[in-house]
Amino acid sequence: MEDVLDEVVSSEDLQKFEQVFHEQLHKGNITHKAQFEYAWCLVRSKYPTDIRKGILLLKELFNSHPDGKRDYLFYLAIGNARIKEYNKALHYVKAFLEIEPANQQVLTLERQINKRMEKEGLLGMAVAGGAVLAIGGLVGLGIALASSKK
Amino acid sequence: MTSGPYNYSYIFKYIIIGDMGVGKSCLLHQFTEKKFMADCPHTIGVEFGTRIIEVAGQKIKLQIWDTAGQERFRAVTRSYYRGAAGALMVYDITRRSTYNHLSSWLTDTRNLTNPSTVIFLIGNKSDLDGQRDVTYEEAKQFADENGLMFVEASAKTGQNVEEAFLETAKKIYQSIQDGRLDLNAAESGVQHKPAAPGRPLAAPPAHRDNCAC
Repeated sequence: MEDVLDEVVSSEDLQKFEQVFHEQLHKGNITHKAQFEYAWCLVRSKYPTDIRKGILLLKELFNSHPDGKRDYLFYLAIGNARIKEYNKALHYVKAFLEIEPANQQVLTLERQINKRMEKEGLLGMAVAGGAVLAIGGLVGLGIALASSKK
Repeated sequence: MTSGPYNYSYIFKYIIIGDMGVGKSCLLHQFTEKKFMADCPHTIGVEFGTRIIEVAGQKIKLQIWDTAGQERFRAVTRSYYRGAAGALMVYDITRRSTYNHLSSWLTDTRNLTNPSTVIFLIGNKSDLDGQRDVTYEEAKQFADENGLMFVEASAKTGQNVEEAFLETAKKIYQSIQDGRLDLNAAESGVQHKPAAPGRPLAAPPAHRDNCAC
């Protein structure tokens, strides 16, 4: 656990807030509070489908409840970063920083997203490099075997 | 070769709780960055910080969850209490209402953590002595009655900030030594890292059985 992007919600919490949300949904009267609490748990799930659902709920809140905009922007950035939609995540971070340019919590999140992009870019290259080496090795082995059979 | 900063023997989980605007994030920032954050905006949800400290020659990594004080986050931030080895409960010495709410914060902490969790009370903003609304003696008495550790501190000047975080760690470490804190319990808030990667292995113990003498 190194930063907020690593944090995973417990299944009991997810179930608890899901239940409240669904009860309100059936009654046809969903409060901002219940929707936000459920969305906040969803974006911290280990399953991308949950995270995407959380993002949808947050977007809905963002458009319907101006008072909570900074909270919704923040968790929209976290949700998108967790499904590796880094450009979208940075877009929400920028929107936030336009309103509060010196917010340390959001500046930290921005650094963490950039760090992940960088790390994964390098990791991608390392995997490709490893594959080239492996193929090279196989070809070399093939040649060695072919020549030894002669 | 000396052991690098990434080698540590234990991880302790902390939470910081208390009313909105008492300076929880500023205390964390002062502790992790040694800087005062002026005009600190309200925290969204939770913030996370780490620092490696040393207690009795052991390196310990503190994983600190700083919770938002605003009421609308309260339901979800409660889940961060679980498995905390240390809880820093903060009030503002210049605002009596933040002190009056301590019993409700304490009830939450007691209900949601385990009996071995160390609770440390911090009266923040001690630099604003002229605007004081809660006396040291009164808060000290509250702390004593409830078995809490206590200091007045200032996130602005840094006074007593190190002490609060370090004394909490010492108390937790003491509980481990005394066997009051069970490292194998799932929610002790402490993880032991006996063989950190890259750390030179200790010499194997001598095999007495094989000793011919």
